Amino acid sequence: MAKYILKRILYLFLTLFIIASVTFFLMKLLPGTPFTNQNRLSPGQLKIVKAQYGLDQPVFIQYLRYMGGLFQGNLGTSYQFNNEPVTQLIGQRLAPSMQIGAQAMILGTVLGILLGAVAAIRKNTWVDTLATFISILGLSIPSFVLAVLLQFYLAFKWHIYPVALWDNFQSSVLPTLALAALPLGNVARFMRTEMVDVMSSDYIELAKSKGNSNWQVVTKHALRNSLIPVVTIIGPMAVSVMTGSMVVENIFSIPGIGEQFVKSITTNDYPTIMGLTIFYSFLLILVILIVDILYGFIDPRIRLGNGGKE
Amino acid sequence: MKKKKYLLALIPLFGIVLMLSGCGSATEKDSKTTLSISSSDVIASMDSSINTDVIGGQGLTNTMDGLYRFDGKKLKPAVANSMVEPTNDGKTYTYKLRHTKWSNGKPVTAGDFVYAWRRTVDPKTASQYAYIFSGVKNADDISAGKKPVNSLGVKALDKYTLQVQLSDPIPYFNQLMANATFFPQYKPAVEKAGKQYGLNSAGMVFNGPFKLVNWHVSDNSWTQVKNNKFWDAKSVKLKKVQYYVYKDPNTGLNLYDSNRINRLEKIGGDTARQVSGYKTFSKDKFASTFYIEMNRKKDPFFNNENIRRAISLSFNRTQLNKNVLGNTAGFTSTLIPSGMSYNPKTGVDFTKDPAIKPLASYSDYNQKLATKLWKKGLKETGQKNLSFTLLGDDTDTAKKQNEYIQGQMEKNLPGLKLTLNNVPFKSRLTKSTDGDFDMVVTAWNADYPDPYSFLQLFETGNAQNNGKYSNKKFDEYVKKSATVDANNKDARWNDLVQATKILTEDQGVVMLYQYYQANLTRPNVKNYRVSPNGMYNLVTAYKN
Repeated sequence: MAKYILKRILYLFLTLFIIASVTFFLMKLLPGTPFTNQNRLSPGQLKIVKAQYGLDQPVFIQYLRYMGGLFQGNLGTSYQFNNEPVTQLIGQRLAPSMQIGAQAMILGTVLGILLGAVAAIRKNTWVDTLATFISILGLSIPSFVLAVLLQFYLAFKWHIYPVALWDNFQSSVLPTLALAALPLGNVARFMRTEMVDVMSSDYIELAKSKGNSNWQVVTKHALRNSLIPVVTIIGPMAVSVMTGSMVVENIFSIPGIGEQFVKSITTNDYPTIMGLTIFYSFLLILVILIVDILYGFIDPRIRLGNGGKE
Repeated sequence: MKKKKYLLALIPLFGIVLMLSGCGSATEKDSKTTLSISSSDVIASMDSSINTDVIGGQGLTNTMDGLYRFDGKKLKPAVANSMVEPTNDGKTYTYKLRHTKWSNGKPVTAGDFVYAWRRTVDPKTASQYAYIFSGVKNADDISAGKKPVNSLGVKALDKYTLQVQLSDPIPYFNQLMANATFFPQYKPAVEKAGKQYGLNSAGMVFNGPFKLVNWHVSDNSWTQVKNNKFWDAKSVKLKKVQYYVYKDPNTGLNLYDSNRINRLEKIGGDTARQVSGYKTFSKDKFASTFYIEMNRKKDPFFNNENIRRAISLSFNRTQLNKNVLGNTAGFTSTLIPSGMSYNPKTGVDFTKDPAIKPLASYSDYNQKLATKLWKKGLKETGQKNLSFTLLGDDTDTAKKQNEYIQGQMEKNLPGLKLTLNNVPFKSRLTKSTDGDFDMVVTAWNADYPDPYSFLQLFETGNAQNNGKYSNKKFDEYVKKSATVDANNKDARWNDLVQATKILTEDQGVVMLYQYYQANLTRPNVKNYRVSPNGMYNLVTAYKN
């Protein structure tokens, strides 16, 4: 297992290297310069400013310089926020995105698992219909629509929560609820399908015939085995919720990372584009790795060993 | 076991209840001494040598003080103790400074101005606003790395006397002094922070009405508190100014309606239409105009006057403003915006000058005349049909605006096929500079409140003259205003008026509108006025 993890970590860095290289050259194809006052600068002034940022060098030299810095853990400094280290920019903006993302994932996943399980146990009853309806609703209502509705009713009309802005825990509740709908719907659907399958398995029948109560059968046997496909979707979904909540962040005026990424592209802020791409990729690969490792814990039969062989 | 089952089932319910109940009321309280204002974006830098945008400019105007400060339309002495008239044929300005202090109690000296100015023009600083010093002796050569930084035409004659030498007279030089780029800097603070200067409020010192506190660059909200060391602190009634960034128009409106913010700025399009009935709705004129440039080099048929005039008359600006822009624009027939510059003798707005007023007919919607001139133009240039592309920004408003123009032009100019090319702002700039366009919708914000800031763009050979407009007479007037007539206010005014007349009659650019910033302001907010340089002076603003 340790060897497998080590190998996967090695692949992680190799993948990151390839992503960074490809992104670097693709980014250079973006039209325009990163300078906000470009239309006011004379060609001579533009030349001086470009030289200051090393943008007067051939692209390959710029690439080598960037990669050299990257190997030393230096993601460079933002052009948009003059000389602000990209790592600091990411760090500062990441916390709110991660907080609402994590809260939404925990809430959505826990509720989704319970909803799916209840629907499966009470299959073909009104409980199942209601649970399915809720999960479909969660899947089909876009998070920004839900965000606007929540803001209007819970904040603007009933004054239960702040309308927007990032002040304290209260500010995180509405965006969390808006973002939790999707994982809730997704997890509930997967959970129900898998659990219905598991509940009709022979070993469940055997467990029942041994005199176990329904509760014991569900918690000890069915629930655990139904979790494997759920875990598979949770990983990428977590990354997408934590990083892709830009619209919800905008609606609640949360200083998140998503907006920063989009802005860095529209402003040609090359170091920030690179830094965020590398960071997102790292996050996704890491989550996939964690999910793979988690499989082993949920189901010991697929635990890996001997250099990655089952 | 049963108990456990119910307990488990209660967990999610408990979570929801906890979230719902633990919060209490979110109703906002309003304070008389705190003014909360929306901001459309974050501050990118608080370094006056580096800042290029309006948001940073406002942050600096609130927290720093230059030689002069606008109070409404009036330019008034700030750190300089009086308004200075130049000597040496308009090439020397000698400012006597007040004995004012930085927020750390140290005196603000002439040396602080010298240090800041030299730092800005130093190529090592890579300031994108260094060009604004052009005209100060040796500034261009220093920026180009040809002369040493200490050769800049600025020196401290003594602790409280600042002298500036210009290479040529700059008639609007005093107005420039209200611009953040010319503010002083406290050398020990700048040197201590090094490259991080202006990215963090910690370690910064201020000499303006407010101090920025607990701020880090890219923060979505920031606070400015009254600076008791400010020389005119007794005039400052607000104790705190709080800015909040909002991106979503509905959120902005909800924040305003729930009184979380006292002033909502930069309302656009549909939202502006929605709130234009509010009693608290207002529009501030900005020294910024939107216009269409035609690429004469790429498409020589744009050299035909009838074609240019037909284009200008073919769409209805009033309807564009009402239906697309939500009444957030102002009609202007000339490149020069209104509310920016005033006749030195009569005080009349530039756009109301007797020679300028009749030019309105060049931008008034006239369907019949447009069609007639267009047909004539096609005949003269030997064209039967014309198809070209209109380059523009890719924002929602810009797209709708360009679609409207496209529809009207194609309807009223027979044989015209207009394709839209909406691209991100930076791409639009690059394409414009490279001459990669037929027509482009562009805008210019005055660097200083003077018609020259706009007119010089269209001099033959100017780097910003993307459409390659050229008229000798126009060039002569613009040049005269900056040279032989630079020290003669009346003659200079006449030069600028005549140049504007030529550019408009030529339809060197097709005018669209002047940018008006639409806002909602609580009735208890007083004296919150925009200056001709596009900044708000919070020294005099207050709440009751």
